[in-house]
Amino acid sequence: MALRAAMLRHVKVPVQTLPVAAPKLQFWNGFFRSMSSHDDHITKEQVTERVLSVVKDFPKLNPSQVTADSHFENDLGLDSLDTVEIVMALEEEFKLEIPDKEAIRIDSCHLAIEYISNHPMAS
Amino acid sequence: MGASKGPRLSGMQKQVLSLYRGFLRAARSKPEEERRKIESVVSEEFRHNCQQVDRKNFIYIEYLLRRGKKQLDQLRDPGTTGLSSLQISLPNINKPDP
Repeated sequence: MALRAAMLRHVKVPVQTLPVAAPKLQFWNGFFRSMSSHDDHITKEQVTERVLSVVKDFPKLNPSQVTADSHFENDLGLDSLDTVEIVMALEEEFKLEIPDKEAIRIDSCHLAIEYISNHPMAS
Repeated sequence: MGASKGPRLSGMQKQVLSLYRGFLRAARSKPEEERRKIESVVSEEFRHNCQQVDRKNFIYIEYLLRRGKKQLDQLRDPGTTGLSSLQISLPNINKPDP
């Protein structure tokens, strides 16, 4: 370690200021914009992808079982408490508050995707 | 929306799930570390009761719901940072009647 430090002290790399390429900058602008909550347009494909990734992250599940058609209880073997947890995680992912009456109906990936992609506040 | 394949939930089951949701929602407003603790304690309590309590023991379930609602109200108080100030103890299931 001491050797490494000693060597590093003697090796000098000329500092280059890298010219910032214009197209690159545009890419990053686009990137941040897609992450901001002001961009309210999310496509159904994006909703599907994000819903599936939230469900796949659920600790009790084997991610490879999860598809857009999976029913939480019948196909994935979850119970009603797990379902509550998943719907709550979806609320956080899409910055929504889903009222009890609606939340209780969401029992499959398909219904979650439908509900969220029709929700005007989902972001 | 009515095309649910699963069994319909009873009114009491809905109340239990709604209470669970309420707890998880209240936990969100707490600091990260507390939130984790609250979530794990609450989840454990619900799962414990779900396995141990006879689903036909309505009187006891109603008691648990009432108790849970009171605890939830306490947890919702912004002054409550965690569960340490609430007495959450696993109920004695051998004595179902309060």
